Amino acid sequence: MDENKVIICRCEDVTLKEIRNAIREGFTTVEEIKRVTRSGMGPCQGKTCGLLIAKEISQMTGKPMEELELQNIRPPYGGITFEEVTKGTITENNK
Amino acid sequence: MSKIENLELLVVGGGPAGLSAALAAANYGIKVSLAEEREFLGGQLIKQTHRFFGSEKEYAGTRGIDILRKLIDEVNKNKNIEVLLSSRVLGIYEDNVVTILNDHKMKKYYPQSIIFATGASEKFLAFENNDLPGIFGAGAVQTLMNVYGVLPATNVLMIGSGNIGLIVSYQLLQAGVKVAAIVEAAPKIGGYSVHASKLRRLGVPILTSHTIKKAIGKEKVEGAVICELDSNWNEVKDTEQLIKCDAICLSVGLTPLVDLLKQRKVKTNYVSELGGYVPLRDENMETSIKNLFVAGDVSGIEEATAAMIEGQIAGLSVAKRIGKNNKREIEKRIEDAKNELELLRSGPVGKKIRKGLFKLGLNHGKNYNENFSEEALDISHLMKTGVPSEENLKNKLPSEEKVFDKGPIAISECFQRFPCDPCVKSCPFNAISENGNINNIPYVDFEKCTGCGICVSKCPGLAMFVVHKNFSETTSVVIMPYEFLPRPHRGEIVKVLDREGKYLCDGKVIRILDGKFQDKTAAVSIEIPKEYYLQARNFKVEE
Ligand code: SF4
Ligand code: SF4
Repeated sequence: MDENKVIICRCEDVTLKEIRNAIREGFTTVEEIKRVTRSGMGPCQGKTCGLLIAKEISQMTGKPMEELELQNIRPPYGGITFEEVTKGTITENNK
Repeated sequence: MSKIENLELLVVGGGPAGLSAALAAANYGIKVSLAEEREFLGGQLIKQTHRFFGSEKEYAGTRGIDILRKLIDEVNKNKNIEVLLSSRVLGIYEDNVVTILNDHKMKKYYPQSIIFATGASEKFLAFENNDLPGIFGAGAVQTLMNVYGVLPATNVLMIGSGNIGLIVSYQLLQAGVKVAAIVEAAPKIGGYSVHASKLRRLGVPILTSHTIKKAIGKEKVEGAVICELDSNWNEVKDTEQLIKCDAICLSVGLTPLVDLLKQRKVKTNYVSELGGYVPLRDENMETSIKNLFVAGDVSGIEEATAAMIEGQIAGLSVAKRIGKNNKREIEKRIEDAKNELELLRSGPVGKKIRKGLFKLGLNHGKNYNENFSEEALDISHLMKTGVPSEENLKNKLPSEEKVFDKGPIAISECFQRFPCDPCVKSCPFNAISENGNINNIPYVDFEKCTGCGICVSKCPGLAMFVVHKNFSETTSVVIMPYEFLPRPHRGEIVKVLDREGKYLCDGKVIRILDGKFQDKTAAVSIEIPKEYYLQARNFKVEE
């Protein structure tokens, strides 16, 4: 299998090779890998890659999936413009 | 400071679980806001054009889209429910403030309780060239075809034989798309046997113990290389084969969509049987955070019927806590719903779910009736190939040949124990029985059966046939369910197929029942040479 041709994070175009390299370098949580590879930072917010990365970590480190966690997910869940943030506030104020 | 809206219950997600949850609470006077990200309600039900399994009580035998219509109708009529469409929940904070993007404004809410019914996302698969255009998730294929009426491709390779993979394959065929094969890594088919048999009767190969190695193509998918797996899931040497196709559809499972729950730091555990990281919760669907409930696939991957019941339990639990009256009645209804769930999960198919729930610390001390947890028949061949064995068939056919002399009789080709009963409920002559438990295999009482053919259109698994062996000196008639277009017309000669979709003989259409009652599953009577009455189980209409 050509690891360079296997995509793990489709939003940020991160390959299996990059994920495996990161794990080899000692990044062994999904959260860390997200930070060093940008996987999970695209529009789908890790829905495609999160579980695949956890599985890869589990296989390479021998840590069972039960001991791993997915990446942190913070608000806002999905893109939003500043205008939308401020509009909400103003509208509610004027009620 | 912005104003924060107070409300009693916020339901996040307008799929089967969310709709049921909102209704259950609103019916006891709770003020509910229902936030749905898309511009329409329905979740996955919106693309489920097939009939549902399960118990008649929970809409079995009805098509998903029709179940949805009923639920939406009720929701719209209920004045306690405010529906927020195109409303994406952006965040939930530690003080339970929820922000929702609606009408291009970010609004803040402060709900007394929340039910997360956010559903699931599809799992992805790692293989070479898995980013080529033409590689779809099964959900996307279904949305394109069944919601927007767009054909995704002309020849699809399906990866995964769970119920979604099987159903989407069938729907692709209905849309006129070829399905090159269904590839399954496990040694047996993941979905219900009746779905698999339906596909085999249409000639689609199901390759168990096989996996995809890579996608082939320059600009887009032109094919795929698959190979065989041994019992340890290792590749068997020299078994690679190239399958030509212009799309690869991934249906390798779902995983709970717990993103919002994680924002609120709800504890999740990895439970493979339930699809991935699932929230810890109690029997009433309440998570580790008080007044924060879950329902449906977000709490663990299961069927839509279970999702609807879980929604009811969550909604009722909220009503019980913040409602003023009817506590007793609500408790009783919660109990009933839990029993219903237990019944759904008590067969062999529910084994995995039971194991998963046990890992979550649920169902301790629950005594599932072990009599129903194993298959009644040896269906290993059927689950490997999608085709019933001779033994299986013998078990369901009349023990004596002369029973066929009586006239037309119904033959049930349903061999697996799973919670489903539309056949039983549809027969006006009480000729079909599951012996008191919905998980049992249905058997036809040939004495009582009149051969009317009603059950043929009502079985969601297309597993009921009526056979009239002695139609004439030399011919028999088989009534078969048919869900394809174009419909045959009376007198037409069609190609009759066996259980593997192989051509058997020509047959003549002598009757078609295709009215409102049949609800798009026509019952077509086909006259065939007598020798084939036990083999003829499908037919093809030449265009
Ligand atoms: S053919 Fe009619 S009578 Fe016979 S089992 Fe089916 S519904 Fe009942
Ligand atoms: S034969 Fe009965 S139990 Fe089997 S799939 Fe059909 S309706 Fe369900």
